[in-house]
Amino acid sequence: VNRADVEDFLYREAMLLDEWRLDEWFALFEEGGRMEVPTTDNQGWDSGTAGYFVADDYDLIRARVKRLKSRMAHAENPRSRTHRMVSNVVVLERGERTVRVTANFAIHRYRDGGAYTYVGRYEHLLLATPDGPRFRLRRAVPVMESMDPGARLSFIL
Amino acid sequence: MVVDEDRDALTFRVHRSAYRSLEVFRREMASIWGATWLYLGHETEIPSPGDFLTRTLGGRPLIFCRDSSGAVRAFLNSCTHRGAILCRHTEGNAKFFQCFYHAWTFSNSGELHALPDSEAYPDVDAFKERMALRRVPRLQIHEGFVFVAFTPDVPELLTHIGRAAHYMSLTARIGPAGLTTLPGVQLYSVKGNWKLAVENAMDGYHFVPTHNTFVGYLRETGFAVTDEDQYAYDLGGGHGLLILTGHNGRIGMVWEPRFGEGERERIVAKRAEMTQRLGAELAAEVADASRILYVFPNLLLFDLEALTIRQLEPVEPGRTDVRAWQFVEVGEPPAVRALRLKTMVSFVGPGGLATPDDIEAYESVQRGIAATAGTEYDWSDMSRGMANEKRGNRGRSVDEGVMRSFWRHWAGVMGE
Repeated sequence: VNRADVEDFLYREAMLLDEWRLDEWFALFEEGGRMEVPTTDNQGWDSGTAGYFVADDYDLIRARVKRLKSRMAHAENPRSRTHRMVSNVVVLERGERTVRVTANFAIHRYRDGGAYTYVGRYEHLLLATPDGPRFRLRRAVPVMESMDPGARLSFIL
Repeated sequence: MVVDEDRDALTFRVHRSAYRSLEVFRREMASIWGATWLYLGHETEIPSPGDFLTRTLGGRPLIFCRDSSGAVRAFLNSCTHRGAILCRHTEGNAKFFQCFYHAWTFSNSGELHALPDSEAYPDVDAFKERMALRRVPRLQIHEGFVFVAFTPDVPELLTHIGRAAHYMSLTARIGPAGLTTLPGVQLYSVKGNWKLAVENAMDGYHFVPTHNTFVGYLRETGFAVTDEDQYAYDLGGGHGLLILTGHNGRIGMVWEPRFGEGERERIVAKRAEMTQRLGAELAAEVADASRILYVFPNLLLFDLEALTIRQLEPVEPGRTDVRAWQFVEVGEPPAVRALRLKTMVSFVGPGGLATPDDIEAYESVQRGIAATAGTEYDWSDMSRGMANEKRGNRGRSVDEGVMRSFWRHWAGVMGE
């Protein structure tokens, strides 16, 4: 897996999320994969020892997808419009079958007349498979000081 | 009149200007935030001498710290000289706070320690004493929960907390070595009036429709939510309590399938430990039921699957900053700690599977009430359950009795 492969993977992921193709997005996780969003004050604490915004195991990611597809997920009905920019992709470390990668993101979200910007970096652990990279750990780290008024995380960051 | 109640006709309504009027907001800042005890933070956030945090409370920037002797302190975070923010860091450990502007330096117990070129002031000692860091006038602690008041003219903290104190004590007794907050604070902000967040937390009626997808998730894990036989309690002083037996299990205390088999066995042992430590009756009161406690005006203590402390900080009529801490047992096994954190944030917080729908609800109310402004329809109804209460029955968690007691207290302190 080289940087171009990682870029293709992250760009396609961003497209799936912006188009709310959540089943296809969920298939980008290996079975047992995890998803995390630390709080904005995080100083390197892991999700087993500190408060987080999101600390999903595989079952919870599945539950989150199911929820977001429901019209009863009121916070996302109607759905937010999101527009994602992913850049500064770096392959940090290669394991036998895994790569640790980082990338910057800027996500614009629009809903109910409000405009919100979420800025941060991804810190993913990807598994190389014959079908392409898969998330072992998908981690979105916000760099804002807090969530702005109305800027909830009801969608996938 | 903002709160319009008729106990004979069984009507209770709140005028919606209370959620959006700047004039009401300013009076709240003076009559509530400036005049009563406020929850500042938990002692465990500053465990060691010298630890400090900066935090805005009631619109005032504060330093919340433990001085070098170990005493918990709260100071106005403003240099006594010209008013600059004295400590510009959000957290750390320091013996002294030095203002960068003119290098005035204060000790962490508030004395003006160093005054550059002090000979320019005629009576330096008296001047330094006069220019000590401004303490918040009152600070008292109950079970590690630190409260402050911006006026000395308040009753003792325990008088203010009243019957809510007992429920804070119950939660504090869950663990044999006590409870602690954890780092990793959820800092977020909602586009809604602070009182909408209070109503939402004391409102069992919304749970099933608003959290339809969360209830569905629990059902798939093998747990059926019920609202039967659950009650809401007016604790006086604006404080309120929901006691919930059918909403969730309780890690370490009441098992549900999503906790896993290992936790099922641990619960048996932990319950035995609690019974031995507390006696059967108190152990049951601590452990058997979930509780949502509201302490007027800005503290919510969620003692549910796991524990969260939530603090409300009004910024504008239509904006409330929220801070939320995970609150955990000291010394619990790492696997239990991880289960607790995963389980709690799957429900609460802006990234949970439930809280975003609560936020949607109060933001939706804040937007929706623009429609009725200036019309005869500009009232929100909170009469649910009045007839039942008038018959002398306990208020159900799915009724609106605790919202009414909150609003009656609010009207009293606001002179409405």
